[in-house]
Amino acid sequence: MIGVSPPEYDPSSVEHATTLPVAGRATVRAYVRELLHRHRRAFAVLVGVNTLAVLASMVGPYLLGRVVQDLAAGAKDLRLGPTVALFAVALAVQAFFVRMVRLRGAVLGERMLADLREDFLVRSVGLPPGVLERAGTGDLLARINTDVDRLAQAMREAVPQLAIAVVWAGLLLGGIVVTAPALGLAALIALPVLVAGCWWYFRRAPGAYRAEAAGYAAVAAALAETVDAGRTIEAHRLEASRVELSERRVFEWTRWERYTLWLRTVLIPTINVYHSLIFAGVLLLGGVFVLQDWLSVGQLTTGALLAQMLVEPIGMIVRWFDELQVAQVSLARLVGVREVEDTDADASLSPQGRELTAREVRFGYLAGRDVLHDVSLRVPPGTRMALVGPSGAGKSTLGRLLAGIYAPGSGDITLGGARLSGMPAERVREQVALVNQEHHVFVGPLRDNLLLAREGATDAELWAALGAVDADGWVRALPRGLDTEVGSGAVAVTPAQAQQIALARLVLADPHTLVLDEATSLLDPRAARDLERSLGRVLHGRTVIAIAHRLHTAHDADVIAVVEDGRISELGSHDELVAAGGAYAALWRSWHGSPSREDEAGRLVH
Amino acid sequence: MHIRDLPYSDPGEPDVRSGFRFLLWLFRHQLGGQTRALLWGTLHQASIALLPLVLGLVVQAVVHRSGRELALSGLLMLAISLAMTLADTMLHRQAVTNWITAAARVQQLLARRTTQLGGMLTQRVAAGEVVKVSTGDVEKIGWFVESVSRFGAAVVVVLSVCTGLIVFEPRLGLLVAAGVLAVVLSFVPLLPAAVRRADIERGKSGRATELASDTVAGLRVLRGIGGEELFLERYRRASQEVRAASVRSARMWSLIDAVQVVMPGLLLVAVVWQGATMASEGRISAGALVTVYGAATFLMFPLRLFQETAMAFTFSRPSAKRAVRVLGLLRESGPADAARGTDGAPRGDLRDPASGLVAREGLLTAVVCGDPNTAERLAGRLGGHPLHEGEEPSALLGGVALDGLPLAVARTAVLVQDKDPVLLSGTLRELLAVPSSGRVTVEEALGAAQCGDVLEALSRAAAGPQGDPMAARITERGRSLSGGQRQRLALARSLITDPEVLVLDEPTSAVDSHTEARIAAGLAGLRAGRSTVVFTSSPLLLDRADAVVFVDEGRVAAQGTHRDLLETHAGYRAVVTREPETTHYAEETA
Repeated sequence: MIGVSPPEYDPSSVEHATTLPVAGRATVRAYVRELLHRHRRAFAVLVGVNTLAVLASMVGPYLLGRVVQDLAAGAKDLRLGPTVALFAVALAVQAFFVRMVRLRGAVLGERMLADLREDFLVRSVGLPPGVLERAGTGDLLARINTDVDRLAQAMREAVPQLAIAVVWAGLLLGGIVVTAPALGLAALIALPVLVAGCWWYFRRAPGAYRAEAAGYAAVAAALAETVDAGRTIEAHRLEASRVELSERRVFEWTRWERYTLWLRTVLIPTINVYHSLIFAGVLLLGGVFVLQDWLSVGQLTTGALLAQMLVEPIGMIVRWFDELQVAQVSLARLVGVREVEDTDADASLSPQGRELTAREVRFGYLAGRDVLHDVSLRVPPGTRMALVGPSGAGKSTLGRLLAGIYAPGSGDITLGGARLSGMPAERVREQVALVNQEHHVFVGPLRDNLLLAREGATDAELWAALGAVDADGWVRALPRGLDTEVGSGAVAVTPAQAQQIALARLVLADPHTLVLDEATSLLDPRAARDLERSLGRVLHGRTVIAIAHRLHTAHDADVIAVVEDGRISELGSHDELVAAGGAYAALWRSWHGSPSREDEAGRLVH
Repeated sequence: MHIRDLPYSDPGEPDVRSGFRFLLWLFRHQLGGQTRALLWGTLHQASIALLPLVLGLVVQAVVHRSGRELALSGLLMLAISLAMTLADTMLHRQAVTNWITAAARVQQLLARRTTQLGGMLTQRVAAGEVVKVSTGDVEKIGWFVESVSRFGAAVVVVLSVCTGLIVFEPRLGLLVAAGVLAVVLSFVPLLPAAVRRADIERGKSGRATELASDTVAGLRVLRGIGGEELFLERYRRASQEVRAASVRSARMWSLIDAVQVVMPGLLLVAVVWQGATMASEGRISAGALVTVYGAATFLMFPLRLFQETAMAFTFSRPSAKRAVRVLGLLRESGPADAARGTDGAPRGDLRDPASGLVAREGLLTAVVCGDPNTAERLAGRLGGHPLHEGEEPSALLGGVALDGLPLAVARTAVLVQDKDPVLLSGTLRELLAVPSSGRVTVEEALGAAQCGDVLEALSRAAAGPQGDPMAARITERGRSLSGGQRQRLALARSLITDPEVLVLDEPTSAVDSHTEARIAAGLAGLRAGRSTVVFTSSPLLLDRADAVVFVDEGRVAAQGTHRDLLETHAGYRAVVTREPETTHYAEETA
């Protein structure tokens, strides 16, 4: 059998786990219409200058046709002066407008692209926190990196080039028909060949190119990971398996290259045959027509030269059309973010007071698999509460519910009597803030990293916040203080420093209730305790719910809730729980190693 | 070489003396493909070049009003079309094959070189630099290498056509030849500026993408605390800068486009003028005039290839340079690996002369270090072949200097799990498929590292409640998992390896106390009878250790059991209980 069948493994299918919606056809169409409408003037300008450029380019063949006609008629005086002058003027006009076409095309493409990427980010930034928490940022990241990139090519090149090519081809065909209507027939003969070939090709091409691009990206991704994990790979002697992985990726990628090459092995002859048919049709049919005196030699020459010029726009249409199809998939993924439903926030909900309560709360990520079972909890204002318990017991989930990020499946979580999950995210965060282990330091000046918590804060306030988290020392030592560029590619910030920045933001945002989810876990143990103490002074009087894996954090809290298997199994102060002799007490003893001394110390302190 | 035979079983040893030599090396390795591309390319362009001839013949035929001549022209036309179609298709296939094989070869070379350098790589060259070679540079290198043969074909055809025209009609031919030269040279002065602007544009575009992904990566922070507008505004600025830079770059390219209309256009005007004059004087026929006009327009096609090759060369030069910089790196990996099998690995006590640390064979030794950086360096040194080259003497295993052993042998004997072990992406099964002694099963290791909840979370993510967690995908660096979950999976991986000596640097720093206590028990049980060194300050782990060593200022300051040291050593107590030494008793008695 001739031909290559598509490889079974499709790298784009595992490219990224899709956790956010992908837009349907209707949404994509509506968006494209909106985009075109927004840029209709730029489009009109592009089509206009393009028409002029093409018309000017048709002057040459027309003039040559006339000269040939005169020669054939045996004219003695060819009036070459005016002809050449006209040709030169047309050339100047054409050059000018060709330049405009390229420029206008870029302006249009770039504007649409900028709109697209900015729209996407605006929409992403407005996603409800619960959706983000659940979907993770991986899918969004993939969309902004891969899909925006793929669209860039389409918007920069495909859209303007297609607009140009369609106008161009149309005008040339029109030119042929105007020169000699009969020659238009010749141009049409070839159309079925082109349509059939393209139909075959375009049904297969977009998916194949997507897979090919994903396969190529996977080659680079495997290498990037090898570079990043160099130490781990060396320690575990994974060298051979990494080389093998890279070669498998090369294999997968090149299989798709081979398949798309086969697709083009069909397409290219199709286009060639199409050109040849048009050219031969115009020449030979035209020749017969001339012999029959239905046509002049000049008309034939002009028509043939115009037919020859058709090669380029047809090639452009075929070349860019599949780019557009590939882009459509990426567009659907970008626009899909618009389909995330806004949680129906009730702006009238407003807390009266600061007491945080959970009443018979049940919650699960999947239907029928509850992570929390009937949790009830009352946190009076100003309490410092610690949540402790084994991994997977539901501490972090409870923390997120108390911070209003998730809505409970049943039961209520209220702040000052108002339902937390019903409030708009902006209202919630004025009251409650969650700091987790994910301490993102944004690329840019350190100042911006703090200002996000309170826009318009003065430098004095920023320094005070840094002081409260023991970070003023190292920030002062930075080359440009608050203006130092941090984040990837600039001054590297250690995980511990990132954690301090996150806490400084919290000090600036100044909510009355805080949920700290292992917020100091990355600091070395001694620094963690120092930081918690200085933070304690700043946060004095605020409600703090700390999810902690180090027992000293629990030791310092007013109330400790031990979470096990989605339930609160023990609740009370450190002393009460130690005295009760339950799971917490056992852990405390083994953690402290030397029970006698420390217990005495504990008693003395309290 | 066919695409279906990729990847290469051996990509070869590249010539890395310079970027140009590297390009040449790649070219030499595909001489066959290049030759075929040259032949198909020549045939393709030659057939296109013959089309104007047919056009002239047809015009001449109708001027002569000869149906026979017209039919003959038709047959000729058919033959040329067939040749053109065949050549175009085959040229494309060969050119793409050349491109792909060159790119695949470079990718394979990169993969081999980076694994060979291991942890040393990022100390010698920025990680971003390597990734850049693989993502952007490979394409440009492949493009240039591939374009050489098409360029060759264009040169052959242009020279032939010009020669043909000169023979056919000297005055017109010379005119066209001179014009071609002018056209070729006309855009060259504009090229460097265009490439420069394209580079600026790429830089800005990269910056904008970086800002966007940065904003998205930190979105939870923004949604949790605020500042969305601040960052949106920042991105909009960057995005608009990209737009401006792109338009600026397009301005240059549009100028090149215009030049490419004007120069060939002027040539055409000259040809029409000269040709028509000659035709009216009866020195050439009307058909010949059309042929010359057609040939002059045809020449623009190979001329564009000249431009493309010039661009490919300009773009690929810095790329080749970067590639050579990465591929030229070497690492001394001790004496020849092959000379000595892994069975030659020593065993016994592990000793670090610089600090005085001794880890007895078969025991669980815990090391407490006041300063995390000292701990990191010490842990690195225990494995031999340290990444940070220093003055310290090599660690000894059973009296044998690890640095004196081949790298592979040393790494087999001692596994150092650093503070930030990386989880490689793939399924959990793939993650845990590491070279191992085979004594520890995956289940035992996952159990000892307390990975139960990780498995549950993964099976949930995999496919509903019945999903196989071993088939669940771990994303790059395990970003979908929490810090504690990552640490436990990394620990499980090291336990599966089951080396003679296992060195762990803060393996449980992000794990909660409940789980840490269970891990301590699991670790002690699974490693019973094997040598293990744990750098930690957690009492839960220290309490389980057979021996505890306290390192201060880079030297062993005290040894004993956890309880003994807690009683007798104030410095040790200060580090372990996290109470400042001076205020410890003050608080107690307050």
